[in-house]
Amino acid sequence: MAVFDTPEEAFGVLRPVCVQLTKTQTVENVERLQAQLRAVSDSALQELQQYVLFPLRFTLKTPAPKRERLVQSVVECLTFVLSSTCVKEQELLRELFSELSACLYSPGSQKPAAVSEELKLAVIRGLSTLMHSAYGDIILAFYEPSILPRLGFAVSLLLDLAEREKSKQIKIAALKCLQVLLFQCDCQDHPRSLDELEQKQLGDLFACFLPGISMALTRVITGDFKQGHGIVTSSLKIFYETVSFIMADEQLERIPQVQPKPAVEHRVAELVVHREAKWVKNTSDKLTLLIKKIIECVSVHPHWKVRLALIELVEALLLKCSQSLVGSAGPLLKALVGLVNDESPEVQAQCNRVLRRFADQKVVVGNRAFADILSENLHSLATSLPRLMNSQDDQGKFSTLSELLGYLKLLGPKVNFVLNSAAHLQRLSKALVQVLELDVTDIKIVEARRWHSDQLSASPETAAGQPWSQMQKRYFRFFTDERLFLLLQQVCRLLGFYGDLYLLVDHFMELYHESVVYRKQAAMILNELVAGAAGLEVENLHEKHIKTSPDELREIVTSILEEYTSQENWHLITCIESEEAGEELTVKQSGLRAITSGAHTCQVPSFPAFSKPSATICSMNGNIWQICIQLEGIGRFACALGKDFRLLLMSALYPVLEKAGDQTLLISQAATSAMMDICRACGYDSLRHLINQNSDYLVNGISLNLRHLSLHPHTPKVLEVMLWNSDASLLPLVADVVQDVLTTLDQFYDKRATSFVSVLHALLAALEEQSDPPKGGERDTGPDVEPPLPVQVQIAADVMERCIHLLSDKHLKIRLKVLDVLDLCVVVLQSHKNQLLPLAHRAWPPLVHRLTNDDPLAVLRAFKVLQTLGGKCGDFLRSRFCKDVLPKLAGSLVTQAPVSARAGPVYSHTLAFKLQLAVLQGLGPLCERLDLGEGDLNRVADACLIYLSAKQPVKLQEAARRVFLHLMKVDPDSTWFLLNELYCPEQFTPPHPSLHPVQLRGTTGQGNPYAANVLRLLQELQ
Amino acid sequence: MAASPLPPPDPRFVLRGTQSAVHALHFFGGAKGQGQPLLLSGSLSGLVHIWSLQTRRAVATLDGHRGQCVTWLHSLPQGHQLLSQGRDLKLCLWDLAEGRNAVVDSMRLESMGFCRSTVLARGQRHWMLAMPGRGSDEVQILEMPSKTSVCTLKPEADAKPGMPMCLELWQAESSPRPLLLAGYEDGSVALWDVSERKVCSRVACHTEPVMGFDFDSQKARGVSGSAEKALAVWSLDEQQALQVCKTHELTNPGIADVKIRPDRKILATAGWDHRVRVFHWRTMKPLAVLSFHSATVHCVAFAANGLLAAGSGDQRISIWSLYPISSDSSTPLSGHVEDTEDGQELLMHRAEARTSRKK
Repeated sequence: MAVFDTPEEAFGVLRPVCVQLTKTQTVENVERLQAQLRAVSDSALQELQQYVLFPLRFTLKTPAPKRERLVQSVVECLTFVLSSTCVKEQELLRELFSELSACLYSPGSQKPAAVSEELKLAVIRGLSTLMHSAYGDIILAFYEPSILPRLGFAVSLLLDLAEREKSKQIKIAALKCLQVLLFQCDCQDHPRSLDELEQKQLGDLFACFLPGISMALTRVITGDFKQGHGIVTSSLKIFYETVSFIMADEQLERIPQVQPKPAVEHRVAELVVHREAKWVKNTSDKLTLLIKKIIECVSVHPHWKVRLALIELVEALLLKCSQSLVGSAGPLLKALVGLVNDESPEVQAQCNRVLRRFADQKVVVGNRAFADILSENLHSLATSLPRLMNSQDDQGKFSTLSELLGYLKLLGPKVNFVLNSAAHLQRLSKALVQVLELDVTDIKIVEARRWHSDQLSASPETAAGQPWSQMQKRYFRFFTDERLFLLLQQVCRLLGFYGDLYLLVDHFMELYHESVVYRKQAAMILNELVAGAAGLEVENLHEKHIKTSPDELREIVTSILEEYTSQENWHLITCIESEEAGEELTVKQSGLRAITSGAHTCQVPSFPAFSKPSATICSMNGNIWQICIQLEGIGRFACALGKDFRLLLMSALYPVLEKAGDQTLLISQAATSAMMDICRACGYDSLRHLINQNSDYLVNGISLNLRHLSLHPHTPKVLEVMLWNSDASLLPLVADVVQDVLTTLDQFYDKRATSFVSVLHALLAALEEQSDPPKGGERDTGPDVEPPLPVQVQIAADVMERCIHLLSDKHLKIRLKVLDVLDLCVVVLQSHKNQLLPLAHRAWPPLVHRLTNDDPLAVLRAFKVLQTLGGKCGDFLRSRFCKDVLPKLAGSLVTQAPVSARAGPVYSHTLAFKLQLAVLQGLGPLCERLDLGEGDLNRVADACLIYLSAKQPVKLQEAARRVFLHLMKVDPDSTWFLLNELYCPEQFTPPHPSLHPVQLRGTTGQGNPYAANVLRLLQELQ
Repeated sequence: MAASPLPPPDPRFVLRGTQSAVHALHFFGGAKGQGQPLLLSGSLSGLVHIWSLQTRRAVATLDGHRGQCVTWLHSLPQGHQLLSQGRDLKLCLWDLAEGRNAVVDSMRLESMGFCRSTVLARGQRHWMLAMPGRGSDEVQILEMPSKTSVCTLKPEADAKPGMPMCLELWQAESSPRPLLLAGYEDGSVALWDVSERKVCSRVACHTEPVMGFDFDSQKARGVSGSAEKALAVWSLDEQQALQVCKTHELTNPGIADVKIRPDRKILATAGWDHRVRVFHWRTMKPLAVLSFHSATVHCVAFAANGLLAAGSGDQRISIWSLYPISSDSSTPLSGHVEDTEDGQELLMHRAEARTSRKK
């Protein structure tokens, strides 16, 4: 590129322009020189360096007032020369340094001259280039005490520019140049690392600038956020590089106590600092103030790169100046841990990296002073925590808790120092308990009901992935930000992981006992402590920390579990209606209406919409949450113990299943999800599998609790849930407990019939499912002994026996359920007539009562039972039905018909209508099933015919049509005849004239009210 | 008792799954430091179930008596060996070490009676076995494991005590001579000196056959139950003469089994009336009536740690924890028991124990 490679050629070209410039110092001449310089090769220029520099320096030194523009172009040209050449002479370096600095000198002022921004920039670049062009040895020699005044001037100049200039470009350049001057430039031109002596020499020299540099930079750093993050990050970098260099423990420990006599003139010697202990102490104190100021400002800086730089600052200072800056360690650590949950992932990662590095190098744990400081910090944080949690907003709480989390991470196992102080544990726990207080004013929680009592819907597969992803949404009194909860969870987990678990569990157990106000929070914390102790989702920075042993953990979990599921903590009042209060039935019936509207959950109308929820509702809400949290805890414990939890199933599964059958939606959900956690932890592939495999434990609990039903009123519920969610393989076990159930039922007919009938229903449904009865116990039977009945037949017979009594119960709901159970009993007993018939005989009178004198719903179900019975013991039933039931039903149909024919649209809401409908709906299939004789069929037909009239309500017509459809199947001919007698749509022409014409009674007139329905039915017959 | 405001005591837990009446129970292992003992049960259907008391589940089933009722189970002091006696007239020796469950030896019994056998350890690997003999009133003594017949103990011709109903071999601390206690069909209990093959003493305790007894060799006192409505407590003096100390009237007749707890503080009886009764051994004060079963209780057994097991015709085995045995055996546990006036106080102690554990 260069045109002139040899010095000779170059000289020939450059000489005229240099001479010209020396003579006439104008911008044009400088530019001319610069233009020529571009054509000269670097090597040639190096030879001519001094020659070319002369006119330029001459121009600068000429005392006459100069135009800024000229100075600027000279400096730029000079910079160009320096950038292409090396400065090899000490003297030249010093002079150029002074001459360049002087360009910005304003006489009589500490401030830089008021010159154009371009000139400032040019000078800064010039200085920077100069320092880069200096030869290796030259540069070190440059930094000797005698240079202090000139260096000091340049440094303060640059600091001033960095601080006060408006132009961002100048600020950045000034800071960059400052780095160069302070030997912090990270460009490739200074690869050399300094040896100890050189470090000390530079350290001594720079020490006198430390106050100026640190204060000015602090002002820059803590300046306006708007000044741009680049300036702040560079300033931070220079700050910590400078401080960590001058205050490096490594250097300081080698400083002799007595200052050697410096070999410089007195004026300069005064500037030289001796870094002895007192100076260090003084400086450190002052720096601590600055560092605090910086941290305070920067830790909340909106730009993440600035916060990242802060982490570097903390790292550098704590690693290099742990002794000299021990006073700053507290704020520095605080700054670090405060960023552990930073919103920026980069900052978070960097922070965790540093924390891990500290842990690895035992910066904290291995350093008494730091550990003490950290404990002290945690102490004071714990002290102010309750107040902060009370007063701060969500954001403030977030940073406070982040800080807490950071301390815990950093302290690791040493956290016990703090926990062992009762006062501090008290504070810490108080704060946690306080901030975790739930908002229990939501009415919906109490109201949300579970209507499908049978299957627990969910298998572990459907909720695969994160075990706790579908945690129930909670509302807290003192915060709304969900991240806060996650943070608190982490805090508790870390406490559980590093802390003395026995101590912590004891402490929070005490709080749990102390007051109902703390109970929910204490349980939440206990749950997380255990999860943390097992290392679930805990990030461990301390590799050597030994976790709580599985045996200890199991012991602890067992004791918490015992507490959670004890009578007084497990059986809390969660709803107003209860069997004991006798209100259940009324509320349930209002609920029935809600089902028809299709909703799974509904507003129970017994609660008016309070503007303020009453205390009772709040306390019930609280109780619901209490139970949910404890259930969640059981799930957590299972996850924490894994397969070890299997041993606890004998005590844990029963209470969980009990809650799975709870009416409150939230509780039932929490229990189901706890069971899924258990499935996952213990290796069961479904709830059914879990229940099947552990039914022996359940049956044990059920049978023992049935002995004290008043103490354990939910026992039937557990059996019911178990039955709905298990399969036939349990039959032998169930048979064992059924006797207990029936015996208990016999004692409590009046009080607890509802729950028992539900159990019987579940039981019979399970028996019905079982098609293949197991053969058992036949070995001992001799030839003369009848083989024992299959287990399920025995059970069904025993149950049917009870149904006979309960068929006349005063509560409709029970009667309905009993009819369902009865129906199932008949199915199970169908092939054992010897058992079935006597029972059916005894069940007959109350059943007749249901058919003829009960609510329409009961009538319908009674019909269904009759149908089932009809299939199994038709002969037995036929005569009795025709004798006891049919006359009454037919009679009532006939007498009611004129009423319904006349009635208006409101009639369909009356009981009478529903009864008519039920009887009509029930009769058809039954007639078919019972295979009634002609006389009885006619009776049915007669009673139903009237309902084929178009005057009847449409629904009754439909039902009547259906009766005839059934009758047609039994006896098509007579039905045809009967219908034609009512309405005869066509004339019958005899096939042969010798036959008489047939005339049926049915009129063909247009006014026949039966026409439409008869026509439709006759069509069916063809 | 009936006036007690406290609920009746419940079993700690119940073992289900034998699917047949339970006729024999025996705790296996569980000595100090060995962890939880295992419970063995023998059923009417001929199976032996091995139950883990930790998981409360059967861990293994032994089928060695061809569907005939298992009447007696006993583990040998050395090794994991188990003896089982069945109504199939077989005595099986099982090896249960390291999860094995195989019959390693078996013997034929000569008698079809109800009498359970008994063993006495004689040195490291040797033990003596007493079992009902060929003649209906005989007891046969064998040296084991060689199965060498030592002798046959036959009552004198004029005694006519009937069949032996229950046996217990033992040995006084002062003398190495093996002794045998035998309960007979006529309600008497006899002490045999095995070496001399003669009856040392005999005493009529009951008017009905002796169904079961247990003997406290330290106090030289025994207790027996029979088909009648009373328990008999008898003792043995230095001259090895048996004498009835007292009888204890029961509300219902029929005791199928009697066991004294290893710490000799309490005893339990298995009742035909479906109940287990607990007495203070020294005073014979009734402490509790445990009602849970719905059929005859056939057998009771105590574990070294104090657990009580009862097996019944209702196919269930109930496990009860009435008093924890204090770990320091020198402290008189009877401190509790002796102060109690009746079972009610026992229950109160239990309730207190439960609440204090919670705190």
